[in-house]
Amino acid sequence: MNTVWTLFLSMSLSGGLLILVLFGGKRIWRDKISRQWQYYVWLIAVLRLLLPFAPEPNLLGTAYRAVQQAAVQTIPTPAPAPAPAPQPTLPRTEQAPIFSASSQPPQTSAAPRPLADLASLAAGNLWLLWLCGALGLLLRKITIYQSFMRYIKAGLTPVFDLERLDQLAITAAQAGVRRPVELCVNPLVSSPMLIGFFHPCIVLPRADYSAQEFQYIALHELTHHKRRDICYKWFVQITVCLHWFNPLVYLMSREINRACEFSCDEAVLTKMGCASARGYGQTLLDAMASVGRYRESLGAVTLSENKQLLKERLGAIMKFHKPSIGGRLLTAVLTMCVVLGAAFVGPYTMCNAVGNTYAAGVSKASPQMDTLELKGKTYYQVANEAQLRAIGTGQYGMDLNYMQQADIYLSANDWVPIGTWDDPFTGSYNGNGFEIIGLTMTDPDAEIIGLFGVTKNAHIYNITLRDYDITRAGKNAAQKSIGAILAIGQGSRSYDNFVYPKETTVTFPWLNEAAQKAWLTKFYADGDFASFSLAVRWLDKNSPLFRELAEKAYADEKIAFFSILTDCMEEAELEFWLERALEDASWAFQSMLYNRLNKYDEFEAQKEEQEKEWAEAQRKEYQAVGVMFDGKNYYYQGKLVNVFLDERANHSFYTLNTNPAGTINIKIIRDKQDNITGAAYMTQEEVTSLFGDDLYDGCEVFSVDLERAAAGETVLLGEYTLAYGDEIEYAIYAGKGAEMKVFFAQDGQSDPVYWSVHNVRQRGELLECAADWTMEPPAAKPGTYQLYLQAPNGPLEDVMGYVMIEHADAF
Amino acid sequence: MVPQLSDAELEIMKIVWGNPEEVTLFPYILEGLAARGRPCQKNTLIVLLSRLMKKGFLHAKKTGRRNEYTVLISEAEYQTAQTQCFLDKIYEGSAAGLVSNLIMGDLLAEEEYEELKRLLEKGTGPG
Repeated sequence: MNTVWTLFLSMSLSGGLLILVLFGGKRIWRDKISRQWQYYVWLIAVLRLLLPFAPEPNLLGTAYRAVQQAAVQTIPTPAPAPAPAPQPTLPRTEQAPIFSASSQPPQTSAAPRPLADLASLAAGNLWLLWLCGALGLLLRKITIYQSFMRYIKAGLTPVFDLERLDQLAITAAQAGVRRPVELCVNPLVSSPMLIGFFHPCIVLPRADYSAQEFQYIALHELTHHKRRDICYKWFVQITVCLHWFNPLVYLMSREINRACEFSCDEAVLTKMGCASARGYGQTLLDAMASVGRYRESLGAVTLSENKQLLKERLGAIMKFHKPSIGGRLLTAVLTMCVVLGAAFVGPYTMCNAVGNTYAAGVSKASPQMDTLELKGKTYYQVANEAQLRAIGTGQYGMDLNYMQQADIYLSANDWVPIGTWDDPFTGSYNGNGFEIIGLTMTDPDAEIIGLFGVTKNAHIYNITLRDYDITRAGKNAAQKSIGAILAIGQGSRSYDNFVYPKETTVTFPWLNEAAQKAWLTKFYADGDFASFSLAVRWLDKNSPLFRELAEKAYADEKIAFFSILTDCMEEAELEFWLERALEDASWAFQSMLYNRLNKYDEFEAQKEEQEKEWAEAQRKEYQAVGVMFDGKNYYYQGKLVNVFLDERANHSFYTLNTNPAGTINIKIIRDKQDNITGAAYMTQEEVTSLFGDDLYDGCEVFSVDLERAAAGETVLLGEYTLAYGDEIEYAIYAGKGAEMKVFFAQDGQSDPVYWSVHNVRQRGELLECAADWTMEPPAAKPGTYQLYLQAPNGPLEDVMGYVMIEHADAF
Repeated sequence: MVPQLSDAELEIMKIVWGNPEEVTLFPYILEGLAARGRPCQKNTLIVLLSRLMKKGFLHAKKTGRRNEYTVLISEAEYQTAQTQCFLDKIYEGSAAGLVSNLIMGDLLAEEEYEELKRLLEKGTGPG
């Protein structure tokens, strides 16, 4: 949130700068350039205040960076944050926003902590204060406007004079206003004004204006309406509310109101001609003479607002002349200047914030580390590049505990891995969830590549390595030790680390084959499918490396990697691999390859054939122990088998077949290797344990057979006791009849009904009511239920069907 | 209470009341005004019509871009209300005062007087 707030603050500042420039410029162009331009040029300032966009190099971004660097210089180490939550996208700019950052005194160790904490808390919540202010102000403006409108509308009397109304209509047509304009009188207003946006209404303080005066007044107000000045004014008001803390916006708002009247005067005179200047000025003066009681003019457009302004306006009116070509040229040039200027002073942007922490981290940060005591251990705190690079130098030994305290942006300077063969890193490094961004190694002769080089019994954890680029150093990688985090471990533990390489695959095609191979092998070993699939695309499909990879994936049965490779394969190549898969009876590869070749049907056929073969083999096996199978039934010693069981040692079934017509129960006996050794009769216990008490005992089936149900009649079909968990299914058909309803009810009550189905015969279809459900709370309570059939529309004949109840306690 | 009408508004209402059709269209009123020798601008008429709608005399139904105006307060209702208002103001609610003034001021023709008498005797109003 603070970043957004900082951005907003810089918007306010850049907008303020532009306002000052425009005020300065006004002195130069006041009488030279059209008033209309002078009015609308403020729109650029308003937009500057509201829009957070700016081109890359801009004034405030640069200024902010300078301020930020100064702040970093004076505060060498950021305040220790015991458990900062990792925020991957937004850079942590914990310093106070611009104003306070530059004025903050250098924080010495003697500075009282609580005070600093309080200050940082206040700084952190400044945006909340801002929001409250903005909302409050906006609300206030709206209520003032509403009460003003109520005040105006309360004393409004419409003008009845038809001639006046006609004059207004004609003037409106001249001014280009299509909407009908209402005309009213309210003696409480100080000067003529226009209210209403969709239904414009000119309010006059009195009715007795001369036709000429009225003409001027109407034209002035209608010009306001035509130019949507109310919109502009509200737009400015909203900007003022948002930037309420910036005194310059109030100046701007006032100036815009003035410019509005000037440009409106100008527009009126352009329309009426220079000759009318005197009469128009007179009208303005007269309007001023009658002073109303309500001075708030927010949201309405009045004819004259105060005496000072009036004086200036009269001056401008008398000086009025049509614009010259030179003036127009000047206008165009000035517009360009202001727009470019607005873009240039633009706010500091997000990317600047990143670059700026970066710059600060590189050039100014001190390698001095703070320490933190945790559970009797001393942790050295690493918060910038200098500190990270200092590990293993001077007082910061290879055997200490380090803890990262901020995201670290590394400069483009080549990274020197921490720890060497002679001096391995033996301490611990806790990345603390922060990121190390932009680690780069380009030295092609480097032999050990990674954040950490050689370590021994070290603990390296919680590191997030982002945008690292070690591919160029990774050339001839076959003879090198590469690891993004850790190259050579020697009993070290490296865990909970995340690595996000900088578009390795972009540089991939420029690597030589050995390096490519090293990288692919590494992706393969790491199980990094994403990088692997991206990199493989750059490979030559006929290269030995590609073949080698395919061979390896096939041999290792790494079907996912193999599948990535098949994406790049030609059909002939795929056929080749399919042949091999068929030969090796490797089902998974066959399935995948058939799929790639769009020959899945073939695979299905193949599988079917295979299954047939298996079935035949099994049949022969059973036959060997005296069990005959005719494709449907099993026979043992000439008798039909009821239950036929063939299970593995782990009790999974090869075959389980039941035939109620059979008379004997047979099982196949297998040894521990699951080879068939014989067949035997099953004991009753075995059958029982296999099926529970009885196969069919838990299931009741009741048939329904009803010859006729008269029209409107309700027939009881049966009564059933149902318990929770019972599964009930019914299906009732009617041979003749138009409509049928079937339902369950309790205690002979037809209300409420349960599980009712009501159907109307569709042409050419069976009239059927069917449902199945499980008794569950809270839909129904256990108990006795009656099943009814109803003939709601005409008689029903030949009603047949069944009710099946599978009791829950059966198994 | 039925609100007062300005002269221009009354003129418009008379045209609308005088229209035998159920609904009145904008051009009908515009032409009517011109025929009565009080032509006005289109937008003026729109403003006046919207005032009449606000006062509850007319209702406009939009069909496409065309407004169809229907009467909400009939001429008789308006006349009654206006007369009542007049009676209250001038004669303090006494109709007898009004009639006597009409007779005394010779504002009532012989036939009109006879007709009034007949109406009173019958005890029924006209229509």
